[in-house]
Amino acid sequence: MKSIVNLKYKEVKDGLNSGEFTSEELTLAYIKRIEENDSKISAFLSFEKEFILGQAKESDKRRKENKPLSEFEGIPIGIKDNICIEGIKTTCASKILENFISPYNASAIEKLISKGFVLFPRLNMDEFAMGSSTENSAYQVTKNPFDTTRIPGGSSGGSAAAVAASFLPISLGSDTGGSIRQPASLCGVYGLKPTYGRVSRYGLVAYASSLDQIGPISNDLQGCSDVLSVLAGKDLRDSTSSSQAISKPEIQNVSLNGLKIGIMKDEGASWDGEIRSKFEETVAYLKSEGAIIKELDFDLLASSIPIYYIIATAECSSNLSRFDGIKFGSRVSNPKSKLEDLYIDSRSQGFGKEVKRRILLGTFSLSSGYYDAYYSKAQKARILIQKKYNEFFKDVDLVLQPTSPTTAFRIGEKTQDPIQMYKADILTTSVNLAGLPALSVPAGLDKNSLPIGLQITGPAFSEERIFSFANALLNNPKLEIKLPEGIS
Amino acid sequence: MDIGTLRNIASLAKLKVDDNEADKFVSDFNKMIEYVDVIKSLNTDSIQEDEIYFNHQNFTRPDTVDNNLNRDLLSKIAPEYENGFIVVPKVIET
Repeated sequence: MKSIVNLKYKEVKDGLNSGEFTSEELTLAYIKRIEENDSKISAFLSFEKEFILGQAKESDKRRKENKPLSEFEGIPIGIKDNICIEGIKTTCASKILENFISPYNASAIEKLISKGFVLFPRLNMDEFAMGSSTENSAYQVTKNPFDTTRIPGGSSGGSAAAVAASFLPISLGSDTGGSIRQPASLCGVYGLKPTYGRVSRYGLVAYASSLDQIGPISNDLQGCSDVLSVLAGKDLRDSTSSSQAISKPEIQNVSLNGLKIGIMKDEGASWDGEIRSKFEETVAYLKSEGAIIKELDFDLLASSIPIYYIIATAECSSNLSRFDGIKFGSRVSNPKSKLEDLYIDSRSQGFGKEVKRRILLGTFSLSSGYYDAYYSKAQKARILIQKKYNEFFKDVDLVLQPTSPTTAFRIGEKTQDPIQMYKADILTTSVNLAGLPALSVPAGLDKNSLPIGLQITGPAFSEERIFSFANALLNNPKLEIKLPEGIS
Repeated sequence: MDIGTLRNIASLAKLKVDDNEADKFVSDFNKMIEYVDVIKSLNTDSIQEDEIYFNHQNFTRPDTVDNNLNRDLLSKIAPEYENGFIVVPKVIET
């Protein structure tokens, strides 16, 4: 077996199917790399070695017995700690779920298991997926494998760092305002936020239900495309899931010639200089290949974070009311506690600072006297954003932007100022508000050897188009990123 | 937003704001409100209250008996459980 550090998802899949290595051999190689290096990255909240190895052995047994196998049999995949796996702890990196062992599987997990994937659970995240740096985890800060003094992005920071550190070829994250794409960008890997409704949210611990989506983070494009095809589809347990089929699960080869690509007018000024140059270089490359570049006027972009924060926090204040210390989760009480004290003490001690901040903002915008000015207004503004994207997609096939206005920042750099942290999501939140699919692809390194990412956004249910375009874009060798071999 | 309003919102949210963090919370909260206030300047007159923004069809599932989550498993995630019931503090005063 080639060193696992150099194995792309596609090579893992091909190697298993050709018999080059068994799932157990592969899994042991990943376990070794994790055990030797995760003390420097802190991607895993806990490591369920027996559970992982048991699955790999079962997979090899199925293969040996010549049972009908899926093409994904034995592939290792990491799981963010907010997606429920039966019998495994699911804490959402929160103290309030410190002892919560999930009694059921999320629909996404059931689908992965049915296809023979080997689950690697408990990847770190910002508490309840609220954050852009993974610094809001109640347990540990995950580090960026490209520079361990820096954040990996968030909230799916553990999922992205694990792939970038070659602990795994692929993982699952969740994206409410950029939580798959921004860490994928900052860690030099691929991350897809599917169309809202594409993937069932059953068993994903809810943050903001009208925005949340589960999606893959992978070290190649094929991984994102494959796992999306496994996860997609109608689920009776999530009424917002869509039955719209993926018509072409294989990535198509397309020419860039004649493709209409939208770029946002006047936006570049707020991006890091090197990100701007990389973006401009890519646009020049697209033009040279015959793509038609159209400038789009997105005057609502600056308002998208405020709109997002009002809607997301309102939904979070409602969703997180279930954590009350009664039916599950941690309980803080003493013999003199009344019911109200039990609620307040359990929640106040169980939630971290950022989660409390968001619950309070959401409660405020939903409260009497403020509802119309904030929540109702934000819902209307959200429709403006959706209409704007509909207009764009009458003129262009896809929209291209950087994923993040900066590369990975230093640990602690933005923790004292929540607004600065929120602004890290300037280029990603509008996509969730409009319910669209978007993919972050690696696009080279800056002078500090930190990854830059580009975001490709398409109309609803156009993931196949996004993958084909990304595939054509990757013919440009300047965008390639080599993942770090050693971690120091 | 002052400390009184913050405490009122906190009580609606069933949260306690400790005295030593109250000032920081009020200051952060005011910054957040100031930041999101920009939406007030957006013209949304063209949008109707009931406008539907996702073209999802509503659907129902067949009303049939299905497997439920196992009671034993659920009892294990409850903070306090006794003889088939979740234990809570006394609710009715005598």
